[in-house]
Amino acid sequence: MPDQEPLIKVEDLSVRFHSSKGVAHAVDHVSFEIFPSETLALVGETGCGKSVTARSIIRLVPEPPGEYASGRVLLKNDDSTFTDVLAAPMKQVRAIRGDRISMIFQDPGKALNPALTVGRQLAEVFGEHRASVILGDAGIGGAKAGALVRRIAQQRAGALSRGAYSLVSRKKSIALQKSIDDLVIRALADTGIPNPRKIMNSYPHELSGGMKQRVMIAQALACDPDLLIADEPTTALDVTIQARILELIHQMQQRRGTAILYITHDLSLVREFADRVAVMYAGRIVETGPAREVLASPQHPYTQGLLAAIPRSQTPRGELAAIPGSVPHLIDPPAQCHFASRCQWAAPACSRDVPRLLSLSPKREVACLRFEQAADRSSAPEDMPIRAEFERKMTS
Amino acid sequence: MSSLSSVEMGSTKQSVASVKWARRREVAREVLQNPLTVIGLVIILLFLLMAIFAPLLTEANQPDPYQSPRDWANIDSPPGVAGHVLGTDSQGGDLLYGVIWGSRLSLQLSLTVVISTLVIGTIIGSLAAMRGGRLDNFLMRVVDVFLSIPELIFALAIAAVLGPSFRNIILALVAVFWVKYARIIRGEIIRVKQAEYVAAARVVGDSTWNIYRKDVLPNAVTPLIVQATLDMGNVVLIGATLSFIGLAQAGLTEWGALVSAGQSGLLAGHWWVSTFAGLAIVLWALAFNLVGDGLRDVLDPKTEGR
Amino acid sequence: MIPSPSSVATDYDMASGAVVTLNDVKVHYPVKEGILQRVTGQVRAVDGVDLTITRGKTMGLVGESGCGKTTLGRVIAGLVSPTSGDLWLDLNPEQQAEIQRLRALSPSAMTVAEREIWKKLEANHRLGSMSREKQRKYRRNCQVVFQDAFSSLNPRQLVREIVGRPLRVHKEASGEELDRRVIELLERVGLGAQHMLRYPHQFSGGQRQRISIARALALNPEFVILDEPTSALDVSVQAQILNLLVELQKDLGLTYLFITHDLGVVQHMSDQIAVMYLGQIAEYGPTDQVFNSPLHPYSRILRDSNPTLEGEVAGSKWELSGTVPNPINPPRGCRLHPRCPVATASCGWSVDDLLFTVEDRTPALYETISGVERASDFQAQVMFESDDAAGEFANTAGQLGALVASDQALSVDGKSVTLRFPEVSDAALLPMSPGRWTSCTRTQTMGKLPPS
Repeated sequence: MPDQEPLIKVEDLSVRFHSSKGVAHAVDHVSFEIFPSETLALVGETGCGKSVTARSIIRLVPEPPGEYASGRVLLKNDDSTFTDVLAAPMKQVRAIRGDRISMIFQDPGKALNPALTVGRQLAEVFGEHRASVILGDAGIGGAKAGALVRRIAQQRAGALSRGAYSLVSRKKSIALQKSIDDLVIRALADTGIPNPRKIMNSYPHELSGGMKQRVMIAQALACDPDLLIADEPTTALDVTIQARILELIHQMQQRRGTAILYITHDLSLVREFADRVAVMYAGRIVETGPAREVLASPQHPYTQGLLAAIPRSQTPRGELAAIPGSVPHLIDPPAQCHFASRCQWAAPACSRDVPRLLSLSPKREVACLRFEQAADRSSAPEDMPIRAEFERKMTS
Repeated sequence: MSSLSSVEMGSTKQSVASVKWARRREVAREVLQNPLTVIGLVIILLFLLMAIFAPLLTEANQPDPYQSPRDWANIDSPPGVAGHVLGTDSQGGDLLYGVIWGSRLSLQLSLTVVISTLVIGTIIGSLAAMRGGRLDNFLMRVVDVFLSIPELIFALAIAAVLGPSFRNIILALVAVFWVKYARIIRGEIIRVKQAEYVAAARVVGDSTWNIYRKDVLPNAVTPLIVQATLDMGNVVLIGATLSFIGLAQAGLTEWGALVSAGQSGLLAGHWWVSTFAGLAIVLWALAFNLVGDGLRDVLDPKTEGR
Repeated sequence: MIPSPSSVATDYDMASGAVVTLNDVKVHYPVKEGILQRVTGQVRAVDGVDLTITRGKTMGLVGESGCGKTTLGRVIAGLVSPTSGDLWLDLNPEQQAEIQRLRALSPSAMTVAEREIWKKLEANHRLGSMSREKQRKYRRNCQVVFQDAFSSLNPRQLVREIVGRPLRVHKEASGEELDRRVIELLERVGLGAQHMLRYPHQFSGGQRQRISIARALALNPEFVILDEPTSALDVSVQAQILNLLVELQKDLGLTYLFITHDLGVVQHMSDQIAVMYLGQIAEYGPTDQVFNSPLHPYSRILRDSNPTLEGEVAGSKWELSGTVPNPINPPRGCRLHPRCPVATASCGWSVDDLLFTVEDRTPALYETISGVERASDFQAQVMFESDDAAGEFANTAGQLGALVASDQALSVDGKSVTLRFPEVSDAALLPMSPGRWTSCTRTQTMGKLPPS
């Protein structure tokens, strides 16, 4: 990755949820960066906080019961200034959403409005962010026309509403409609949908899962965002469709230079599609680095455990390395390494201190107390002090 | 090798019961966390006490306690006059007496109707859902016919045909209300039947009746409980409407009849009869609605606000 | 139509006998429409499956959504009755061979002795012909672990009741004895007595699945069907459960039918694999062989689509095009042909197939069709608006793998295109070598997977 300014800087982000049982620290002092045009994968198991982190970037976490306890999410503007998404006024955030940062979700069936045709949902996006383009294509100008575009985009089907447009002549409103339709068809065709016009007039329930996901991608990429957040976009799809959807996202990324934040629990997908990866556990990032490197030589015990637990053809049956124990609950958690209770290298210090993310090399970071203690941080994990020795070192 | 001694084993039976009770207590505690629900429960409790201890609170009128004692000397007297705390109506009937004994009738009405309709509706709805096929189709078409007629009008028609009496109001309401429960339980059973634990029970080889009893019904019954609680209030509302129209015996100490009796007096400025009786109806219905809503919030996780 | 002997799948290395054998099992659901609920078609969820599950081994059943694997699992578990077809239990190799031989004969061609043998086999081994008692015994012997542990445990029952239920239903234990057995089962799956008096919602996903497994083991079954047992679990928990399943299989001598869509898991856990597509088995054989040298394009596509953590896929990546066809009216011949990268004219193309596929992929071209004259399902004349359109259609058909213009099957004449597809019957599962079966007609003729 060339040295360049990051597109997104997440600094010390903490998100908490208030419930009757206490305060859950879903995301705990998380920091990372996303560079333009790269694919960063955020990996972890259920409850690790990856989805909440992703949603925080466009401030989608409901507040209550959620709360942005600390941190900033900095988005780089064209003039090299940064906007803090968490602090900006909502009007600005809404302008950013869909236009500069976009998101696709796991279940396209739930993310698409079942009462609107596909075309109308896409038209809304365009009406919101691309009003000037639509007006230009239709040859209409004027300030009032901007509001008109928005209204037409949102009320595509109504002949009645069209009759209500006394602002401009009927001919112009037809021209506007056509302009919007063209944009929609182009967006759909870009995702490889063979008959965009037919799909445009369909309702979501008439489409297959893979098709719905394509529509969602079309909607997300409609306005050429700088960052696409993909939250488990293919978990609900079959393997053969998954392959094609991920290919599609990859292709569109190449064409447009979009950065992608890819949330997943599937490490094999990370290997195929991500440039960099950040592994999360219990609300914290435990390891980051180039995807293939991290998967080939994981440094954090959790990452190692995770990789060892994935069934592979060579692993003898019944000998999958399972991480003992289970994820601690995150309500009022103690200040310590959350993985200590399950870690084979855990020492007494691990139950006292919170490990910070340290650089092992220019591109690799790990949050593990062993590395803080080790003299040479670039050692391979097998050379790291084993438990007894580590204990001796820590308590001496 | 078991890890419980035989002494501990013997107490498993009690433990099962205690665990189940502990869970019920937990649910109850959660229900009571909602202040509105508590208010509703308090009001219901007051009415309950009023109904149970009616003979103690006021002297039961002879020969029929459900007819207010008439004080011909003090007709249309406002509240607080001549020993009538809530006043009297145009026939000298004591309003306080009417409200207290009316609560008995309300209790009788709501309990009878709700329990009967629950039982009938559950049986029919369960038959339809468990058997499916043509029986289901037929029964549901019957239910559809019933539901296409507005409840009030239907009850009115039946009660009118049967003749004005309190018993007939009860019958009319039962005839009208059972379909609602049949529909609800049928929908719930169909939903529950698709759950994998029902399939698991079938794989184990359990009989249909046992599966119904242990797996299907307990998991389908929650919306029924909520609806039944709400209906305890609604039934009295509709029953009051029917007796307001005149479908109960004349002079009955039923709240609706009292409201009706006081209606003519309103224009003359005798506000207390209709008001106090009407207030009783409103409070009763409100209380059960509050409790029903509170129950639904706790028992049905889908309606949790997000 | 009486199937030829070779159309019935047997596993030649099943010296230990077959727990379950399926012959031409079909499950069709009627589609009812209209006020009078007339039956307008059948959803062919399972459409002619032959399968043998060997004792002591793990059979993996893979496929994507809609392929029928869950329905098939339920048929074997006894939850769904097959519309047609036979389920045989506990056959040794001689009996298997005998049944195959006798199946091929029409009833009139059988000698009296043979008919006797057949009846005896049915009475002892065929589900549906056996006595009720024997059937109950099978039901006890075959248990199921479901996918979603959250909905496979009754939320209103305690663990003690859930796990003890099979014992109670079959009156095997009660009271203290029941408690003892339940604790034993819980300990076997890694839980303990302290979990007996808790509700399912108090457990994590992995623990609930353990409870599910404990329940399945209560009656000491021989055969356990696992329907996506780890699909809803995190990777680290999945590893624990898979290890447990392997351990139990070793200790208790269990036979598993492992239904899943996760190729990594099935490859790890299974001895044999059956790949399903649209209600039929595409390929079947030992796991390693099916994965490393697949004999059916669909198996190859599945493997290529599956992201891996190690190595790169040798050769090009095969892809599936288009969308899943309607299970009410599946394609003729080999069901995969409209989407298959190596389909040819004799793979089962019919007129409707081609037209539908063209409409789906190149709708603009489809709209240039002015008329279709059908002589049969496989022969028709398609008229176009112009000569160019006709030519383009011929090209497209060729690209779809249907045929090449020089083929007998298609000829262009001005504005019309004549289609003459060979009439093919449904693809049959045939052995390429002992224990290796495929239904790809091209592989069957070529001896190996056709090149891309």
